[in-house]
Amino acid sequence: MEKAEVASRKGKRAEIEKSVLVIGGGIAGIQASLDLADKGVIVHLVEKEPSLGGRMAQLDKTFPTNDCSICILAPKMADCFGHPNINVMTLSEVVGIEGSKGNFSVQVLKKARFVDENLCTGCGECLEKCPTKGVQNQWEQGLATRRAIYIPYMQAVPRAAIIDPENCRFLKEGKCGVCKKVCKREAVNYEMKDAILEFDVGAVIIATGFDVWDPTSSSEYGYGKNPNVFTAMEYERLINAAGPTHGHIKRRSDGNEPKSMAFIQCVGSRNIQTGHPYCCSVCCMHSTKEAMLATEHIEGVRSTIFYKDMRACAKGFNEYVERAKKDYMVEYINSDATVQGSSSAGNPIVSYDVGGKSQQKEFDMVVLATTLVPSEKNKVLAKTLAVDLDEFGFFKVRDHVFDPIDSTRPGVYLAGYCAGPVDIPESVAMGSAAAAKAMEDLMERKVYA
Amino acid sequence: MSRIKEIIEETGAFDCVECGKCTSLCPVAKRNKDFAPRLIVVKAQEGMEEEIKSDKDIWSCITCEICNDMCPYEVDFSGFIQRMRGEAKDSGNLPSCSQAGAVHTMERMTGMGQKQKRLAWLTDDLKVKDKGDVFYFTGCVYQLGILYNDRAPELKQVPANVVRILNAAGIEPVVSDKEVCCGHDLLWSGDEESFEKLMEQNIKVIKETGAKTVVFACAEGYRTFDMDYKDFFGDLGFEVKHISEYVLDLVNQGKLQLSAEGSKVTYHDSCRLGRHMGVYEEPRDLIKATGANLVEMSSNKEKAICCGVNAFVSCGEVSKRMQLDRLLEAKETGAEAMLTFCPKCLIHYNCLLSSDKKPPELDGLNLKVRDGSNFVAERLKGGGKSS
Repeated sequence: MEKAEVASRKGKRAEIEKSVLVIGGGIAGIQASLDLADKGVIVHLVEKEPSLGGRMAQLDKTFPTNDCSICILAPKMADCFGHPNINVMTLSEVVGIEGSKGNFSVQVLKKARFVDENLCTGCGECLEKCPTKGVQNQWEQGLATRRAIYIPYMQAVPRAAIIDPENCRFLKEGKCGVCKKVCKREAVNYEMKDAILEFDVGAVIIATGFDVWDPTSSSEYGYGKNPNVFTAMEYERLINAAGPTHGHIKRRSDGNEPKSMAFIQCVGSRNIQTGHPYCCSVCCMHSTKEAMLATEHIEGVRSTIFYKDMRACAKGFNEYVERAKKDYMVEYINSDATVQGSSSAGNPIVSYDVGGKSQQKEFDMVVLATTLVPSEKNKVLAKTLAVDLDEFGFFKVRDHVFDPIDSTRPGVYLAGYCAGPVDIPESVAMGSAAAAKAMEDLMERKVYA
Repeated sequence: MSRIKEIIEETGAFDCVECGKCTSLCPVAKRNKDFAPRLIVVKAQEGMEEEIKSDKDIWSCITCEICNDMCPYEVDFSGFIQRMRGEAKDSGNLPSCSQAGAVHTMERMTGMGQKQKRLAWLTDDLKVKDKGDVFYFTGCVYQLGILYNDRAPELKQVPANVVRILNAAGIEPVVSDKEVCCGHDLLWSGDEESFEKLMEQNIKVIKETGAKTVVFACAEGYRTFDMDYKDFFGDLGFEVKHISEYVLDLVNQGKLQLSAEGSKVTYHDSCRLGRHMGVYEEPRDLIKATGANLVEMSSNKEKAICCGVNAFVSCGEVSKRMQLDRLLEAKETGAEAMLTFCPKCLIHYNCLLSSDKKPPELDGLNLKVRDGSNFVAERLKGGGKSS
């Protein structure tokens, strides 16, 4: 039995028999990592963002229970980061892989954070002093700004600052250095360089999630034209207590609370023309959730959901929709809707079809359930890992019925939205399934090698 | 398989999921609450053939293709309407045509061999040929200019001006008095039989001249050749080009000089050139090449409001309201002129502008709706002469 030596996060060297590479630190990747690590397998978890958490961390609540999303996710993020068997690498991407099932050797590019995450306590003093203000905060969907040195978000793991080299004055022009001066822990290090790390692993799990489709290119929804048209992801940040408006739903045009809201589903999905003919599998439910939450945030707000078909098929989903109708007075209209102009008050005018009659109605705010699309980076990653993508750009599964976790390359497994539309519970189930599959590979070697 | 079933299959109407997006975008449905594209498809799918054959909604559609452009399932709704109109007509469901169908009658008669003076506009200063590489298909623009002399007399100058532009670039186009109407209006009013006669005549005439490229100054002719002729006939054996693409090429190659003149104009995308053919940039670039200050209306390109009438069918209140909305958008830009490359758009807008029942909103409007080719010809550097 060969043994590999692996550098763990804490710099100690641990002797192990086999380990697994997990790509993506969202809920699917976290679940897979924890399952493996709890069974004594060393996990190398690669995350391209500066924090674990992925998309679930951006959501306000989860359906159908309306649990606070980050509240149930954060403990798992912390478990993952603190686990003795998990080596979490943020700001990292896989750039090379060799070998075969049971015996891969991978190269990971770890980008410089310019802050030593072992030293940084996340006190935030540097953030207050950084003179570069007004950088768009992508994590808040551009609804807030940040400095050049920042902590990704309040519950970020690791809770350590990061310097964005594109906006940092010191890294660009060699002037400033304020953050280094104010840091009592001496964690700021402008000299930090990108590094290539190498590991031997027995199996690989891809859990890279999705991108949110940008509806700006689609002229029929008025997004980008009418300031009171939001995407669902923007809305999730608006209603989040830790979000840019501290949980107040505010119109972009005048900052007022909306009294009537429209939720338009299937924006960009189930649409051959946009190249996304699939059902995103979550927008029926998240629109329902968002409409409920609107009522909880604003008294007397009236919400209308425009849907193509109501797809509430998992456990408790249909009851959830019924509850929205009964307890929250959410109105459901079976019609695709578009935004056709705006009123003099800046209200989007929504146009739809009821029984073959065209209707127009003004709403204070419109939320678009934009579809979730395969990440652009999938193409590069698929090439690196030598796995196939399907016709949409998701990772291709070997067999939809009997191998729904296997990629097209033996020893490489898939979990979460990167393999196709799923919701959070399904992503978690896939994470566990992928962990079990990876475990099988490791066991196989143990028994027969 | 019944013919309606065939139409449903072939136009993709079978894929309709009844989402209603078409209705939400349809400019007719917005102004006529009894009309909904989705219902027409649903009725056909559900086999209500008899009803659809007597349904007036088949004729209310203006075939502007906003629905085609936005349908998530790529249903070819205008193609569906085009073919259903044939079925409707065969079972006696007839459209109400403008001017009691004068244009349709004229076009149908040319298909039966009625001679027209197609080259009555041709003056001695224009250089044209009988055989050559470039054929200029004039279409009915001159005849329409005569028929609608009261509202769009400018149309009569279009063919001569197009030849003038080509001459200025050193091109002597082929023109023929044997060409006939392209058949657009007949096809869109359900008369496929007459359409095919006209098509065969036109293709024969063009092939005899040995032309490799056929140029159109008319958006409808361009669409009809490029889409419908190819559907009905197959490969045409020559290339079709819209004047804006063709002339813009000449300008870019330095073969044609335009005088810079800074008038403020706006451009109206006709449905045929815009949504049907996807030609949005070339007309704009050509207009800009004249030095004009091109300003956009609030609905433009694939969102442009249609002129409200297609194939001289079902002109009514909805059409007038659409024309008004469009002209108000043009008014807002402050442009002196609204340019378009479709003779029909020109006629329909000028119809409202010259009407004695002109809506009060248009009072004091100092906007001309003009043909793009005429506009360009007036700005030819040296030699170009407009009448």
